Amino acid sequence: MIEIKNLQANVNTDEGPIEILKGISLSIQPGEVHAIMGPNGSGKSTLSYVLAGREDYGVTGGSVSMNGEDLLALEPEERAAAGLFLAFQYPVEIPGVNMSTFLKTSINSIRKQRGEDELDALSLLKLMKTKCKELGISDDMMKRAVNVGFSGGEKKRNEVLQMALLEPKFCVLDETDSGLDIDALKIVADGVNALRDPKRSFLIITHYQRLLDYIKPDVVHVLAGGKIVKTGGPELAQELEKQGYAEIIEAVA
Amino acid sequence: MSAFPVPLDGQDLPTSKQEEWKYTNLARALSPELSNKRPMVSEEVFIHRSCGGNGGQVEDILWEGFEGQHQQPRLAIILEEGAELTVIERHRGAGAYWKNMVTDVTVGPNAKLHHIRIVEDSAEAVQTNMARVTIARDGVYDCFSMNAGGAMTRHQIHAVLRGPNITCSLNGVNLLKGSQHADTTILMEHQAPHCVSNQFYRSLLDDQSRGVFQGKVHVHREAQKTDGYQLSNALLLSPSAEMDTKPELEIYADDVKCSHGATTGPLDEEPLFCLRSRGLSADAARLLLIQAFVNEVLEKIPNKDAREEVRGKAEEWLTTRLK
Ligand SMILES: Nc1ncnc2c1ncn2[C@@H]1O[C@H](COP(=O)(O)OP(=O)(O)OP(=O)(O)O)[C@@H](O)[C@H]1O
Ligand SMILES: [Mg+2]
Repeated sequence: MIEIKNLQANVNTDEGPIEILKGISLSIQPGEVHAIMGPNGSGKSTLSYVLAGREDYGVTGGSVSMNGEDLLALEPEERAAAGLFLAFQYPVEIPGVNMSTFLKTSINSIRKQRGEDELDALSLLKLMKTKCKELGISDDMMKRAVNVGFSGGEKKRNEVLQMALLEPKFCVLDETDSGLDIDALKIVADGVNALRDPKRSFLIITHYQRLLDYIKPDVVHVLAGGKIVKTGGPELAQELEKQGYAEIIEAVA
Repeated sequence: MSAFPVPLDGQDLPTSKQEEWKYTNLARALSPELSNKRPMVSEEVFIHRSCGGNGGQVEDILWEGFEGQHQQPRLAIILEEGAELTVIERHRGAGAYWKNMVTDVTVGPNAKLHHIRIVEDSAEAVQTNMARVTIARDGVYDCFSMNAGGAMTRHQIHAVLRGPNITCSLNGVNLLKGSQHADTTILMEHQAPHCVSNQFYRSLLDDQSRGVFQGKVHVHREAQKTDGYQLSNALLLSPSAEMDTKPELEIYADDVKCSHGATTGPLDEEPLFCLRSRGLSADAARLLLIQAFVNEVLEKIPNKDAREEVRGKAEEWLTTRLK
């Protein structure tokens, strides 16, 4: 179970820290899918970075635990080994590091931290081939540098590929649907659905109801101004799509 | 920059008042014993290939430096029309010495010279190397320098592209630590139309080391359709390391494509975080990114064996640096 309690965080800038998250609480049971929607700048990506442990964000209060473990006490790589996965809103380019080296190193680093045997080259190759095929990613792409020259949609698919390969327990997807065409959206959603499992939890950040048609959420939260202002079932997403955020945010304010 | 520098001698070292020596203080690097010492009679290697030399041929030359010596080696390479050759030039030595070298390269019409320099001079050595390169029409000259040795090294290249359709590519990697100082100063002179020139240098700078890259592309009025490119990227592995870059374009023709770029700084945080979020330790992530940074420039080495050799050396350098 994922438990976020009264999480407060700053982003550190050259002009000093700015408070972004102003007390976020939510708990996700194993097997559940939660969606977070909210206006631009409300702190959705900040929440995802804080969960993943980016160093330019400072936690000023609250706690996050994953299956009883204090997530905030761990280094980013330890969080990954513990089962956290963040699909980035803006996947970064890594010139000079090719996809297959990146994926292999990443899989084996996590296995090693978990005390599992590293996979040999052949098993890795097989594994990557299968997952690429499922996600409609060409083998050619494995020879290219990570995200360099990838289209927007290819970058997002690549995030889902990494997620599928690393078999996390808690997946945070930050606008993985943005920039996808309709077919790619379906492929990505199928990829996510294939990973749904009674032991795995998802936090899906999105602006669009469309993704939630494919990936049915159990709970929908509205984040505004660094706080969760409303929580409901899947119908909340539909309501938002019709009315926009203004009404809901005003209603609670 | 003067077309040909005055030969150096102990009484008349260049100073920082001379523009092209702005960042490199030779007098300070040389002990008075060395700078005033009469040069020992040094070896000269002369390579001459008439037409049709096969491309697979490799000349492997070792230049050794000897404690307390002022050496003036000379390497002269002449490739006649259509010849092709790979020259691997190695620098090693022991103790404090001054290797003051001249390299004269003449690439004939349609000839190709692949030049690989592996500089591993001793930690107390000074190497100044003036390379004068002239290339005739349809010729190819590519030079890759791996620079990991010496207290101070200076590689100055003056390449003159005399005829049309020449490709001249000058690349290198600097692996510097301690108080090492490495200076690459290039004058790429396009005298004829339709030529391509590239400069691509990457530097890893640790401790208090210092790198200098001054690259000038000079495009003469006749040299229309010139394609000139210059890039220097330096990665600072320590806060006290320093890189000075001065890319310059001097263009007198109106139909050319020239660009230059330079970056200096520590590793980017974003890729580092991305790798860590995928399970790599901070050290492993850093190593992978630095290897990638180096490997991209090693791709420029045309000879596979030499490329692997340099890759091995770079790898070794890195693993001892990053533990
Ligand atoms: N490095 C930074 N410097 C200054 N402000 C920042 C920085 N990082 C984030 N912010 C601010 O924090 C707020 C929250 O940003 P965040 O990226 O979390 O929003 P978001 O909800 O993900 O928005 P979007 O829907 O556009 O992706 C924004 O107002 C943003 O400008
Ligand atoms: Mg965002």
